[in-house]
Amino acid sequence: MNAWLYLHFPHLLLDYQLALQPPELSAVPRALTQNHAARRSVVQANSAALQQGVEVGMAEVLASTLVPELKLHDYDAKRESTMLTQLAQVLYQDMAQIVLYPPQGLLFEVQSLLRLHQGFAGVVTRMQARLQQWPLRYVLSSGYSPLSAKLLAASGYAVLSDETADVKAAINKLPIEYSGLPPAQIEKLRDVGLLTLGAVLQLPRAELGARFGRAITTYVAELAGELLPPQHFYHPPDRFDQQVELNTEVHSWTQLLFPLKRLLQQVESFLEIHQWSTRALVIRAHHRSGPATQVPIQFAHAVWQQRDLLSLSQLHLERQKLKQPVLALSVRVQRPEPRQAQEQAMFAAPQAQTDSLNALVSRLQARLGESKVQSLHVHDDWRPEYQGGLKPWQAKPTTTTLSLQRPYWLLPEAQPIERQQWQLQWGPERIVSGWWNADTVTRDYYIALDKWQRQGWIYQNDKGWFLHGWFS
Amino acid sequence: MAYPAQVEALVQKGWLWQGQELPAHKAEQQFLSSGWAELDARLGGGWLQGSVNELQVQQPFIGELALLLPLLAKPQTTALWVNPPVQPYAPGLSYQHLELHQQVVVQEPDEKLALWAAEQALQSNAIDAVLLWHASLSATAVRRLQQAAEAQQKLAFVITPWQQQEEARAYVTRLQLERADSLSIRILKRRFGWPLPAFPCGVDSRLPRRRRAL
Repeated sequence: MNAWLYLHFPHLLLDYQLALQPPELSAVPRALTQNHAARRSVVQANSAALQQGVEVGMAEVLASTLVPELKLHDYDAKRESTMLTQLAQVLYQDMAQIVLYPPQGLLFEVQSLLRLHQGFAGVVTRMQARLQQWPLRYVLSSGYSPLSAKLLAASGYAVLSDETADVKAAINKLPIEYSGLPPAQIEKLRDVGLLTLGAVLQLPRAELGARFGRAITTYVAELAGELLPPQHFYHPPDRFDQQVELNTEVHSWTQLLFPLKRLLQQVESFLEIHQWSTRALVIRAHHRSGPATQVPIQFAHAVWQQRDLLSLSQLHLERQKLKQPVLALSVRVQRPEPRQAQEQAMFAAPQAQTDSLNALVSRLQARLGESKVQSLHVHDDWRPEYQGGLKPWQAKPTTTTLSLQRPYWLLPEAQPIERQQWQLQWGPERIVSGWWNADTVTRDYYIALDKWQRQGWIYQNDKGWFLHGWFS
Repeated sequence: MAYPAQVEALVQKGWLWQGQELPAHKAEQQFLSSGWAELDARLGGGWLQGSVNELQVQQPFIGELALLLPLLAKPQTTALWVNPPVQPYAPGLSYQHLELHQQVVVQEPDEKLALWAAEQALQSNAIDAVLLWHASLSATAVRRLQQAAEAQQKLAFVITPWQQQEEARAYVTRLQLERADSLSIRILKRRFGWPLPAFPCGVDSRLPRRRRAL
């Protein structure tokens, strides 16, 4: 029974950076280098570079001589660890118990998921399907203890099996260099001819301890799973504010679409984990100098799926201009809210229609601007210009039906008219209101016909006659 | 009826056909009653589902909204108003039993964006009718709207001033509205029939009562 899975990403930082770019850019050979004992060597390389002969551990000089067009960047363990955390959040949708092994590894406890995913193979398929969404190179291995799974995955001798015997066999064959022991210790073991882990494990433990120190007995116990060091299980954060660095300066929003897609994919998994949805995002583009360009994005209805988030954000971004080149992009989720359960059966039809109306309004607002999409409102006020109005769209229904004849159109401002041109039909209706603030109204309203026989809503006050609305 | 031989040939080819009240293949349910019997009778049953209709008004506010009120006041009708000439007034519309939360108003001075909004609404299944105020739509714009309306079986109304030259447009119906004592409608174009001369339409029942001039 193998209770642990370990996921190792040998080229995490580079792969992740490439995942944020259009796929055609991955064809360029790229590598990450790091200072290592006074020489600069390659630590990660993409497949294009590997095919042309670049190897991990190769000196930078050699690599760039071999492949002149090789693009080199600096390796940064801190950024890699951040990415690992972001990946943990993505995988948390399928796996309950995750332990971070920064900068490149994730450990999963599978025992508790066997029933949910129908056995060991089910868990593995599930995880592989999730990883498929990301173009990352990974090694997945099972193990009867956290350490055994980790050693097999990190060494590349991965075993995916439910049987403890398979893992044991692989561990026994594992060269001592991959044991994860301190280099001095490995040296000592090799000196006495112990070239594989199996050879070490065959020896009686007491003897091993006496000869090589207490540390190795702890190691053997940990490998066997008898000693479990405390594991810090990952808990997803309840806020989402993540940033991705771009490899090159970007000058337009269209070029930012690809990294944005990835970020929104993470937003979706964040919202999915918590069973939340959101009505607002803030997208920020960070520049070399000066404040970041902020684009707040509002949705008229709560969304959580990447494709909805993306299509609405895209409409918003079409209206934006970038003044400076962008170095990094970040997305923050604002006001996440629990998802509303939607009734399924009997009264589903009207609900579905409102939802889709909200979706339409979101689309219109995104492209035209929020203030341009409006809804009609009635207020408790006798002054006509306050009684009804247009406001930025709100989905709340107003249910009052008024019992007074009112025009269907209201002019933004009353127009002065010549009384002789109008033929009074009905009235007066006196409206005196608003004495409590500066906007006092004292008017006599009439319905009257103009020379075209149109019905206007006109009023008289101490300043004269005015046209205020139309019946049409 | 026997035609001369040449005409018969054209009929055979389908290049010539006879004007008739209602072609057999158009079923009744494809029409949505306009709420005005006199107009329904002339349009073959009402507004054709999936059509863009043009209302040419001699002056704004002569009763064009009243003509559409029976349709808009149906409880299930959701409508998008694009660029109305002045503010639609909620208390008055509510008095006419319009569902206020089913009316979406878009004010967009940019013509391209306004048309985009109308097209989006026709493509969405949340909207039943689109009202668009526009001075003069190009043939391309009308065709695009007509395609969107037909694909989704929606209704669109374009309210526009009287058009001087009779340029061809893809509208299904073109009505010319004029007011003397009451509103009269001239049908410039309709599906399945010839243009018709002006006839009075009783839309005043949806407006405050008029007193006869003394």
